[in-house]
Amino acid sequence: MTYCLHILICLSLIIIQTTVMPYIPLFERFYDLLTPFIIYLSIFRSVRESIVIVFIFGFFMDIVSGGPLGLYLTAYVWLFIGVRWAITFLHVGDSLLLPFVVAAGVLMENLIFVGISAMFEQSPRIFETMASTIVVQVLWALFTGPLFLMFFSYSHRQWDRWFKEILAKKN
Amino acid sequence: MFSKKMVMIIGVIVLIAVNIILLSVFNRRYISYYRPGRIAISLIAPFQKASTSSIHFVRDIWRHYFFVVNVAKENDNYQKALNKAFENNIQLKEFKLSNFRLRNLLNFEKTITDRVLSAEVIGKDPSPWFKTVLIDKGKNDGVETGMAVVVPKGIAGQVTDVSANYSKVLLIIDHNSAVDALVQNDRARGIIKGGMAEQCLFKYVLRKHDIEIGNIVVSSGLDGVFPKGLAVGYVSAVIKPKSGIFQEVTVTPYVDFEKLEEVLIVLNPKKKKFEPEQ
Repeated sequence: MTYCLHILICLSLIIIQTTVMPYIPLFERFYDLLTPFIIYLSIFRSVRESIVIVFIFGFFMDIVSGGPLGLYLTAYVWLFIGVRWAITFLHVGDSLLLPFVVAAGVLMENLIFVGISAMFEQSPRIFETMASTIVVQVLWALFTGPLFLMFFSYSHRQWDRWFKEILAKKN
Repeated sequence: MFSKKMVMIIGVIVLIAVNIILLSVFNRRYISYYRPGRIAISLIAPFQKASTSSIHFVRDIWRHYFFVVNVAKENDNYQKALNKAFENNIQLKEFKLSNFRLRNLLNFEKTITDRVLSAEVIGKDPSPWFKTVLIDKGKNDGVETGMAVVVPKGIAGQVTDVSANYSKVLLIIDHNSAVDALVQNDRARGIIKGGMAEQCLFKYVLRKHDIEIGNIVVSSGLDGVFPKGLAVGYVSAVIKPKSGIFQEVTVTPYVDFEKLEEVLIVLNPKKKKFEPEQ
């Protein structure tokens, strides 16, 4: 059932990102909404539960995006590994650190994108705009990232409670 | 023999190497819509379509019912524009007829087909780095990879991936896109590549051509994808370097990609092989 919730959240995030946000000028340079979710999975959920979602939705994002196949998959897998590694010595569950973790995650994802874009062709002029976009995305992440994490955590608690209630009623 | 730390470092290096190799292989996008990809797109696209339709529905209500006053004013302006367009239309019909006669005379092949298919944009690229859109027509509607996608204002892009009912369109503002084009006035030829901030770069234009800001750039038809003579955009900046054989030309597309909602897919028939006259 937890997988169902994860799939539901990821699908909703992809749809919002590809259909709703492009029509709102304010969110023109918003960061990838799946990034905070991957960070949430890395920090608060088990590897067994998360890794499947990371792979499936990395692939889904690759399909809906125009980048080289495997770009999002690469970014998500390394983001997941990076955050899992960071929580071995950082208490990132601490709410004070969360904005910085999300911002770092967004920065890391963008650096992977830039690195891969640099590897495969690309005119140098394209990188001029990338820097400003990355700064804007990191700032967005700094202020809104923790809200997403709180929302995911809340959704999960509600989902578990709702599921337990259904089970209790059945029994 | 090796410490745990060493094994981990080697593991990470191997993982990075494998990752880069796989990305290099998959960077050739020809294999992107194999079976799992089609399943993924079939799962996401209907939701995107429903979401886009809902947004359009709400927006249409807003436009139609709350902006009636503005619409009335606009209507007057449109009426005037329509009258003017009507005059132009008659003139263009005359041009068309004379063009038809001349083409027949010169035995030219028809450069654009009348067969177009309209499609709705149901989703945009999730990343700001890439400029693609998803449309609601696919293989079942006769769409094929490589077909040109246009709007009345000009060229929009090219179909890069096709699934049963949906297709992905690479817009001309994407840095992976390339369109063979020429300046309408002096026929200077070059390649339109995606640039930054929704602008295009007109590359490989020789320095000898005097290109001015405002010049119209049209497709040359030489790439075998886009029909000849379709508007691409207008020249918005020209930099002539002191050395080198090319000049740097920036082209602003006529198409407003932010507001791209409906597109036309040019269903060009397969080009006939050249047969020498008997």
